Amino acid sequence: MRIRRLLVVALIVGVSSAAMSSVAGASGTVEEDRACVEKVADAKQTPDGEFYKALDNCRKAKSLIVPAVSEMLWGGLAFLIVAGVLMKFAFPSLRKGIKAREEKIRSDLEGAEQSRIEAEAERSRYEAQIGDARSEANGIIEEARRDADRVRKDLLAKAESDSAEVRQRANEDLQLARDRALSDVQQQVTDISIGLAEKIVEHNLDPATQQALVESYINSVDR
Amino acid sequence: MIVASLLPNINELFDWRSLAGGDTLLAFNKTALMAFVSTAICIAIFWTGSRKQALVPTGIQNVAEMGYDMIEENVSVAAMGEEGKGWTPYFATLFFWIFFINIWSIIPGIQFPATARIAIPLILALLSWATFIGVGLIRQGPAYFWNSINPPGVPIALKFLVVPIEFFSKFLMRPFSLAVRLFANMTAGHLILTIFAIMTNELLIVHSSGLYQVIFAPLPFLGLVAFTGFEVLVAVLQAYIFTILTAVYVSESMHAEH
Repeated sequence: MRIRRLLVVALIVGVSSAAMSSVAGASGTVEEDRACVEKVADAKQTPDGEFYKALDNCRKAKSLIVPAVSEMLWGGLAFLIVAGVLMKFAFPSLRKGIKAREEKIRSDLEGAEQSRIEAEAERSRYEAQIGDARSEANGIIEEARRDADRVRKDLLAKAESDSAEVRQRANEDLQLARDRALSDVQQQVTDISIGLAEKIVEHNLDPATQQALVESYINSVDR
Repeated sequence: MIVASLLPNINELFDWRSLAGGDTLLAFNKTALMAFVSTAICIAIFWTGSRKQALVPTGIQNVAEMGYDMIEENVSVAAMGEEGKGWTPYFATLFFWIFFINIWSIIPGIQFPATARIAIPLILALLSWATFIGVGLIRQGPAYFWNSINPPGVPIALKFLVVPIEFFSKFLMRPFSLAVRLFANMTAGHLILTIFAIMTNELLIVHSSGLYQVIFAPLPFLGLVAFTGFEVLVAVLQAYIFTILTAVYVSESMHAEH
């Protein structure tokens, strides 16, 4: 696209160069041409060689390497003006702007670098904290596991002891109930026996002897 | 021969009549006018570009800053190192002013670079010459002249040969070569464009009949287009060469050779 534009511009310039080749040319003044004709007219009567020499001299090009003093003066003045204005007013301001931008970019870059370093440090700190937290959590979990295990064991032990206690109490209660029942039975048997014996051997035995007799009997029965 | 007969007298290509001031020392002709218009263009671009101080440069500010940076990097620092940065304003002025004077060679209706006349290249070369001698004298004192023409390490027997050569090349030839290089290149470019423009004009417009001309007429026109593009390159290149050589000369004057 750029090349196309460049070609179009070159084409336009080329066409205008060709079209304006006569316009842009620096033609001599009418006075110079008249003076030339007069010079040649003066030499009209001279021999052929001198006539052509006069003609050549008249049309002779001015030396290209002899500087025109007026152009040097004006050119020098134009350059001094541009140098003075640009070096005094434009370039210092331009330079200041460029310097300010460079400073800003530098400080921004340094700030960004600093932020990056800080962020990196912060990240490391966070990672360390996360690591600590993770190990702490692992510790807590481990401890909780140990606690749970201990509690489980305690509970089991307690349950076992409770169960043993309950069982023992139940056995004791059972034993007690049995003893009581047995005692009741003994008492009832005793009473019945006494009653029966009284009826059988009424007045043959005093109550204490009867009692001892019955208990001895019951004990023997009990065994 | 045919082309030569078509060409106008050389005066018509390079000798511009005075627009004001007659034939006096203050004669103001087209060359002088172009110099002042170039001055105005340079001032307009860089003045406008330096007034805006946007953080992100656009438009004319961008052009001005890029131009200034380009000269700083490719001329000042390239030729003189970091201490050359202080010279950037001068070199930027030199480069852009010469460029805008050169580029008139392809501006339709003008089509003549003011540097195709020896006066402006010569005054600029003399200015550069005075600048590097002045810098040498300020930095090294009067010993600058001897330091410049007496390179170290040269055997005494050769000094009789080397010293005059150095003197001739450094103090006499430099302004001449600077001026002639710029002047000759722009003159040659102007002549080439003129030749191709006249050939095109003759073949396409003035004598546009006949098979021969129909076949060959586009050729000078294509040449004219090509050389117009080439002339832009020459305008930039010659401005750059003049500026960087000035920078090199100033840089040499700053320090004595060891």
